[in-house]
Amino acid sequence: MKVKVKSWTGVATWRWVANDDTCGICRIAFEGCCSDCKLPGDDCPLVWGQCSHCFHIHCIMKWLNSQQVHHQCPMCRQEWKFKE
Amino acid sequence: MSLKPKQVDFNKTWGSLQETIQGVITLGNVRRATWNDRFSDIYSLCVAYPEPLADRLYQETKLFLDQHVTNLRGKVLESGERNLVNSYYDAWTEYSQGINYMHQLYLYLNQQHIKKQKLSEAEIIYGNYTGDSQEQMEIGELVKLYVDIFETQFLEMSGEWYKSEASKLLQTCNVSQYMERVLQVLHEETNRSVRFLHVSSYPKVKAKCEQHMVADHLNFLQGECVPMVAEERRHDLANMYPLLRSVREGINILIDAVRDHICKQGLEAISGLSGDNISTQFVENMLAVHKKYKAFVKELFSGDQSFMGALDKACSSVINHKFDPKMPSKSPEYLAKYCDMLLKKSSKGLSESEMDDKLSQSITVFKYIDDKDVFHKFYAKMLAKRLIHQQSTSMDGEEAMINKLKQACGYEFTNKFHRMLTDIKISGGLNEKFHSEFVKTNEIDLGIHFSINILQAGSWPLGPTVISSFSVPQELEKCIHMFEKFYHGQFNGRKLSWLHNISQVELKLSYLKRPYFVTMQTFQMAILLLFEKNDAMTCGDIQTVLSLSQDQIGRHIASLVECKLLTSNKEVSLGLPGLFLFKYQDQIGRHIASLVECKLLTSNKEGDIQKKKSTGDIQTVLSLSQDQIGRHIASLVECKLLTSNKEELTEDTEIRLNLGYNNKRTKLKISGAVQKETPQEIERTVSSVDEDRKLYLQAAIVRIMKSRKQIRHNALIQEVLSQSKSFAPSISMIKKCIESLIDKNYVERTANSTDEYSYVA
Repeated sequence: MKVKVKSWTGVATWRWVANDDTCGICRIAFEGCCSDCKLPGDDCPLVWGQCSHCFHIHCIMKWLNSQQVHHQCPMCRQEWKFKE
Repeated sequence: MSLKPKQVDFNKTWGSLQETIQGVITLGNVRRATWNDRFSDIYSLCVAYPEPLADRLYQETKLFLDQHVTNLRGKVLESGERNLVNSYYDAWTEYSQGINYMHQLYLYLNQQHIKKQKLSEAEIIYGNYTGDSQEQMEIGELVKLYVDIFETQFLEMSGEWYKSEASKLLQTCNVSQYMERVLQVLHEETNRSVRFLHVSSYPKVKAKCEQHMVADHLNFLQGECVPMVAEERRHDLANMYPLLRSVREGINILIDAVRDHICKQGLEAISGLSGDNISTQFVENMLAVHKKYKAFVKELFSGDQSFMGALDKACSSVINHKFDPKMPSKSPEYLAKYCDMLLKKSSKGLSESEMDDKLSQSITVFKYIDDKDVFHKFYAKMLAKRLIHQQSTSMDGEEAMINKLKQACGYEFTNKFHRMLTDIKISGGLNEKFHSEFVKTNEIDLGIHFSINILQAGSWPLGPTVISSFSVPQELEKCIHMFEKFYHGQFNGRKLSWLHNISQVELKLSYLKRPYFVTMQTFQMAILLLFEKNDAMTCGDIQTVLSLSQDQIGRHIASLVECKLLTSNKEVSLGLPGLFLFKYQDQIGRHIASLVECKLLTSNKEGDIQKKKSTGDIQTVLSLSQDQIGRHIASLVECKLLTSNKEELTEDTEIRLNLGYNNKRTKLKISGAVQKETPQEIERTVSSVDEDRKLYLQAAIVRIMKSRKQIRHNALIQEVLSQSKSFAPSISMIKKCIESLIDKNYVERTANSTDEYSYVA
């Protein structure tokens, strides 16, 4: 071997991959954060429901808290369960 | 002696008593026995039988004292006007001492009779007045008397004297001597007033003196301020300050002079800087100026707030000075570079506290900078580089600096910086977890030592990540694959994009006489790895294998050729791209035009200019200096209007592994083209700031419009100005932003008014 790689320090950025571009509740891009946050990223994460719909966690929590009886996905009206 | 009341012959007793008190009041010689006798005489008079004679005694004594005082007055007057004060003083001292003794002699009368009676009398006269207010009234009246008969005249006379003294001094003295004298006079007057005059007089005397010796000659004193400041005559300035301060508005000229002077000194200190470390020179010279004049103000002007204000104004105008009115000030960039220099690992060997000190000082400069957003841009870029390439001296140092910035400019300003630090810390944890859990339990052999920085897109100033196509070398593939698997197991719904353009690798070169350990960029490594089987390749081949863009390949090969690890069969000049992209379009246009004019180039209809000429020919025709010709031609080559037979890596350029590479050091680092801050990168940073500002302003305008619904043009401009803290937007920029918002239908002009806007919901 003429040249051997000793060590490598990689650099990568991460971003959300969701099935939609914007959050169905606040209509703000998933790239951004919900209207209550200032910075996107770890502080304003996304969550998926078992129905495969995705929202800002803050948005869906607000929605669920406002529902008295059944917790439903605001998009498809199925029962809302967090995807593990 | 019996204390019983008895009959007393008043006249007889008073006769001998009078004799004694005459002695007492004139401080004459009174024998103890006589004194004792008179003491009992007074007692027996007071308790005399059948009726007490106290009142009579009181009357007689009063008459006697009246008589005595009248005599004293006569005597004092006799002694003539010249000795008036002295003899009055003597008489007064004698009398007051005597009266003290008399009080002792009359103690019984005073205590038993007079006090009781007087008090009731006082009550009758003054009703419920207390003793205190009565006293105060008397003092008030006295002061009025003092003002009427003495102070007014005294002030007038003093005024006259000051006036004549001032004009006398002005004829004989220069300004420093004059000030010296005036201060002395003031000092003397102060001492005198405190010792001899009533407290209320001191400010009046002082005001009078200042009026006649300073305010009347204000123009003269103020005229001297500018040269005095220019020459920094410290002693004189220290004298000037209290004098001018006493006159209203008088000090302003001095403040202005000091401000202008600091401004001049500051500009001198930061202009004409040259060399590699302009940024260091800039910051340190500026700090030296600031420190010097801060001490100056503290020492000479006792840290007066208005002078501190002048210092601030001067520093801010120096730091934000535009040497070229068309270009933004370079200060934010310099300051960011200075911080970078301090925080970067280097051989300078600054101790931690020294570094902290210097960083704190740089905050001083930071506070004066108007374009804080430009600083933010540069700082973020440099911070990113330091963090990704592990060049920071210490994370604590980084954090401390960011906290300093936060203190100076608020959380909003630094939250991206904090985010970056957090990302690096999280990455450390991820690395550990990856290796200790994932790699170990799955018994994976990565083949190389691997670590990673996972950054949150958006918080890092890495620009738009143009993911250039790149075939990852086999050696790295496993790492990437395994880590992605691990990462997706850890986090849901996240996608990683690898930034090979900024990742680094350490290589062992074993094909040379001795092994070398080289740190370089991933792309460079990829190129080098291609030479495993053969020693020579063409650029075209390299590009095909790595599927990198031509531009990228060119740069990375060039950097490897530059450090002699590779050789090229063509002469490769590297300075070129960086140096000449910076040219303005219109400048290039002008130069081309000039070339066309002198018929070196011809222009065809499409505007393409092509003609073969050797550099030498061009130079002889234009008779420009070699240097200039070189530059202009390069700029033309750059914009592809000219092609050159040299200096370009083309597809068929052959690149060879340099087998004769030799270096004294076995551990080295190749800084790639990307890592150097090229002029065009700086240019890009500056222009991206402009873009950000526009967005910021537009957002601000929309916010204001949303809350106001309707607003007049000037009011809107004012509000926008007050909202933008990190930079000072130009009015024209705000106008442009309003225009573009009108175009985008966020805002419209109100129908019946020319200068009013309304919000379009």
